[in-house]
Amino acid sequence: MLRGNLGAGKFGTPEKDLDELRETFSYIRKRVEPRRVLEEATVVAQGQQKATDSTGSGTNNYAEFDITKILKDEDDGVPEFKRDPSQPYSLGPNISDWDEQRAEWLKKNPDFPNFIAENKPRVLLVTGSSPKPCENPVGDHYLLKSIKNKIDYCRLHGIEIFYNMALLDAEMAGFWAKLPLIRKLLLSHPEVEFLWWMDSDAMFTDMAFELPWERYKDHNFVMHGWNEMIYDQKNWIGLNTGSFLLRNCQWSLDILDTWSPMGPKGKIREEAGKLLTRELKDRPVFEADDQSAMVYILATQREKWGNKVYLENAYYLHGYWGILVDRYEEMIENYHPGLGDHRWPLVTHFVGCKPCGKFGDYPVERCLKQMDRAFNFGDNQILQMYGFTHKSLASRRVIRIRNETNNPLEVRDDLGLLHPAFKAVKV
Amino acid sequence: MLNRYTALTLIFCFLEKLFVFELMGSESTFSAQKRNTGVLPTTTATAARGRAASTLPRGRQMNKTYNNVKITILCGFVTILVFRGTIGISNLVSTEAEAENQHLIEETKRILAEIRSDPTDPNEGLEEYLELNATFRLGPRISTWDKDRKVWLRKNPKFPNYVNGRPRILLVTGSRPNPCDNAVGDHYLLKALKNKIDYCRIHGIEIVYNMAHLDKEMAGYWAKLPLLRRLMLSHPEVEWIWWMDSDAFFTDMVFRIPVMKYRDYNMVIHGYQDLLFNQKSWIALNTGSFLFRNCQWSLDLLDSWAPMGPKGPIRDEAGKILTANLKGRPTFEADDQSALIYLLITQKDQWMNKVFVENSFYLHGFWEGLVDRYEEMIEKYHPGLGDERWPFVTHFVGCKPCGSYGDYPVERCLKSMQRAFNLADNQVLNLYGFRHRGLVSPNIKRIRNETVPPLVNVDQFDIRHMVNQGSGYRS
Repeated sequence: MLRGNLGAGKFGTPEKDLDELRETFSYIRKRVEPRRVLEEATVVAQGQQKATDSTGSGTNNYAEFDITKILKDEDDGVPEFKRDPSQPYSLGPNISDWDEQRAEWLKKNPDFPNFIAENKPRVLLVTGSSPKPCENPVGDHYLLKSIKNKIDYCRLHGIEIFYNMALLDAEMAGFWAKLPLIRKLLLSHPEVEFLWWMDSDAMFTDMAFELPWERYKDHNFVMHGWNEMIYDQKNWIGLNTGSFLLRNCQWSLDILDTWSPMGPKGKIREEAGKLLTRELKDRPVFEADDQSAMVYILATQREKWGNKVYLENAYYLHGYWGILVDRYEEMIENYHPGLGDHRWPLVTHFVGCKPCGKFGDYPVERCLKQMDRAFNFGDNQILQMYGFTHKSLASRRVIRIRNETNNPLEVRDDLGLLHPAFKAVKV
Repeated sequence: MLNRYTALTLIFCFLEKLFVFELMGSESTFSAQKRNTGVLPTTTATAARGRAASTLPRGRQMNKTYNNVKITILCGFVTILVFRGTIGISNLVSTEAEAENQHLIEETKRILAEIRSDPTDPNEGLEEYLELNATFRLGPRISTWDKDRKVWLRKNPKFPNYVNGRPRILLVTGSRPNPCDNAVGDHYLLKALKNKIDYCRIHGIEIVYNMAHLDKEMAGYWAKLPLLRRLMLSHPEVEWIWWMDSDAFFTDMVFRIPVMKYRDYNMVIHGYQDLLFNQKSWIALNTGSFLFRNCQWSLDLLDSWAPMGPKGPIRDEAGKILTANLKGRPTFEADDQSALIYLLITQKDQWMNKVFVENSFYLHGFWEGLVDRYEEMIEKYHPGLGDERWPFVTHFVGCKPCGSYGDYPVERCLKSMQRAFNLADNQVLNLYGFRHRGLVSPNIKRIRNETVPPLVNVDQFDIRHMVNQGSGYRS
């Protein structure tokens, strides 16, 4: 009866039993991995999950299909240029006269000026995410909301966007992936004056705040941070590389070259990580990350780079979400958009939430709910231009706050966002 | 299944015990049973049991007990094996980690369900639909928009409607405010949006991505009408408003809308005049990608278009009229495309002189006939053509990846969408010297040496410079 029902295979061997027993009892000591839980929960949450049809060629049901099965490399005959692995890592061939080359190009191309208005540089906002679907089933939805949020801010402020979904250099994967990308974009877009890198988990929460470009006319690298925390304390979170400005010039190419050596995956990154943990204050033990590396560079080579680096803290070029999100209602009551600082933050950055990967360092619910609130907080400033607002900071529903009139051009533009000065073209 | 087997095993064991007990205690009886076939075993067994209980010597009894225990253990062993086979050992051991695991699963399920639920369901809270003979308006009637707009433009020279000789275009698209039914839906919404961002950056077009239900009555496909009207009125500096569905991908990054062609028109829509006026087909035009000039005429058209839209009896009744009058239309509530077709047919003289029915390029390109030919196109043609040789837009009508079910097999849809995305992305990556590893792969490879000075590559490969100088696409 047993054999007929279970088959010899499932019957197992005594050794297999012992293994399973061992594993079960070690469960008591092992901490349950959230990711597995999430995958299980996804399976159950999708209800009537039949055994995944591996070919799936006939099904019309999106729940049953595993997309990763079709995302495969193919050879299309176009030859590939590979980097010589025997050479030490570099972001690209050395360039030493970029300022001159670029100045000449700009002169020859007056239709692509690097300043689009008086005191207003041409800015390219760069962000991105993985080309594969998120592990977290709602991760892509939050990426979508995040890019919509950036599209809105950039449309108002005359900034262009590049959304990257390609890994340019397999060695510089993870947080380091932005370095080869930034260099490539600077060199391919000489008309861009400032490149603004922004993480995918950062959202604009002040739609009216225009960056004080004049303040940075003598600087090439603007990050949120504090001088004392970098130069005196060497604190690993003394600055944040989740949202920063980099000028398109030789100096920037040089600092990128100085920055990249700790990046290559494997032994180099690990050893560099140990060095950084040793040298920097409060840094936990893990492989080298771009932020710690930058802290280290500035702290140890201040004379070389310091005078062109602006550590900004007068407004939230990067605003750590933990201390901001609970105060949104208070801000709405007491302040108004356009301040950019602790009273109304320009950027709320969800460090540690990792909505695309498996659930991150913070409780899931808090992260996602707060991201919804931050999104709505920013979105309200866009919707109010058109006479709407979200029902509450937690709600996706929108309600009308202004009736349609037969005189649309006389309507009050409270925040002045419909036709702001910072969007005006050079006449 | 578990219960069934447990019960069976236990019964089996019990019977075994009973049977073997008899075996142990009354061997002679057994032989007697065999010999005396006529005698009922039970009676004899009972009799034997009774006899056995009273007459067996002590040593024999110990042996019997020992055998009994052996059988019990054997029984138990068999039961455990069946248990193990059906439910596994791990489930027999319930630990604190198990409970925590279970709790985490429950919590995550709850959070995902909460996030996925649609609190902005337009039907929720809408106690009554508009009555059948009620008039629906998109807003208060405006009749002097052309003049008002001209005055505004004169007063705001910093917001001209023409920039660098080209009219200002605003691309409008969007999706629902809550997550798709499956993760893959949101992933392709994201890819489609990146695709639009790339095209619009190259061509100096602004994007509005809408995720709000502005009008509860005009829900679903009709939602674009109040949105377009609102945007036109708020942005007088915009000359053309271009609606594009979220399931449409740009596949020709070089092709530009030939705006000069539409100097005397106010609406540009892909379709076929023959299908429209002769056959009255419900798919004669496609409202998944079309342009409206920002002018009084367009406001008037929107006002005439809207009445079939309000959800409820109006939309249902309108659907019946449309199905009755348009060829091939299935029975369902009124949709914006059928309504527009019906409007243009029945009020041809009022509108058609300002509507350009475009089919010389794929302002909307139905995906099924296009996606399999991409390799052929790459071999024979080049971007910039916009037509059947290299489609401007590939539109995945019917795939519905944000929902649970599409009209086509999922694998075909997703694979094709990925191919369209890569076809376009290769044109963007070309400037940077990269290309995808095939049309379905998310990975890229370097296709140009970096020894050439970067600015030489910029002049040669940046689409914007090609377009301005009138030179062709180079890859």
